[in-house]
Amino acid sequence: MNSPSDAEVIGRSLDDPEAFGLIYDRHAATLLRFLGRRVGAEVAEGLVGELFRIAFERRKTFDASRAIALPWLYGIGSNLLLKHRRGEARRLRASARMAVVGEPPDKRAGAGALDARLLFPRVADAIEALPDGEREALLLFAWEDLSYQSVAEALELPIGTVRSRLNRARAHLRELLELGGENRVRSR
Amino acid sequence: MKPVDLARKLRRDAAFEPAALDRGKAVLMAAIRQEVEPPRGPTIVPQIPYLDVSAALSFLERAFGFREIPTARLVTADGGIDHAMLAFGGGVIGIGPQGHHGTISPKSGGIESQYISVYVDDVDAHYQRAVAEGARIANGLGDYVWGDRPYEAHRTYEALDPEGHRWRFHQLLREVPQSERRRRPREH
Repeated sequence: MNSPSDAEVIGRSLDDPEAFGLIYDRHAATLLRFLGRRVGAEVAEGLVGELFRIAFERRKTFDASRAIALPWLYGIGSNLLLKHRRGEARRLRASARMAVVGEPPDKRAGAGALDARLLFPRVADAIEALPDGEREALLLFAWEDLSYQSVAEALELPIGTVRSRLNRARAHLRELLELGGENRVRSR
Repeated sequence: MKPVDLARKLRRDAAFEPAALDRGKAVLMAAIRQEVEPPRGPTIVPQIPYLDVSAALSFLERAFGFREIPTARLVTADGGIDHAMLAFGGGVIGIGPQGHHGTISPKSGGIESQYISVYVDDVDAHYQRAVAEGARIANGLGDYVWGDRPYEAHRTYEALDPEGHRWRFHQLLREVPQSERRRRPREH
């Protein structure tokens, strides 16, 4: 017997609420890792229960034409993360320090090239300074390996808007690196 | 290096304990069960028949201080009251036309088959109000001690509503100490 799709399970949970537990069993580990990357394990643990509680309350609004609930859950998680921006910024800077350690010094570096020690903190700052929508799209794409389509579902945006946000995010990052970090990205 | 790859370099996983997943599930299932359980009301609700339900509703509010639960009212096609619920303290009653569910009002039946006890904070004030609003007093105010363990002292009176239903209003005065329990007083 095929196991029921997420949409079927959520549909069933309208009459049998405890069936929603299966959605947790399927996706909680993925979401916990997602939240952990962004705000650290400790905060993530509190958020994951909150995330699924919100998902449960909003289960009537789940678009049943989507077989998999994961992008929808990512979207709820993304909204929750907005409240934890400060914790996220700290974690990004810590990640930048870690990345420096892992990166060998660039021997071929020319005059204009940036050493990892300079580069990664700057990338972290740049990500942190991106407008919320761009940062979210970028990290769902780059860190969570979501497709454009899934990012669009998570953020409830047309796929064209996701493309343009990712393009703007790339442009912002590139601009920052080419200017050698002199200019900060301006939030919109 | 491409901006997205640079961003990807900053991805760092936070290790989580497996128990974190179980704790998150416990949070979710507790929230679900809370929704599943209906709000708790009284487990026994007397349903009281009247010839004139509107008049009874008005009297019970004015004389006894009951309050209709507005959302619970059912109306007939011609705008009459088919059923109404009234709350008082932690108790609820229903009222409706006689003849429904085999019931009959004492006004047409000529006999009361029951009386209803109601606990109030200040029985003297309640008595004054009921008399002022035209309640017929079947038994005036008096103090009584009775009960199995624990013995209790009550101050009570009995009133008849416009159709002859009998209501007994009690104010609990105190529990009777052991030393006063030698003689069991007559029951009322």
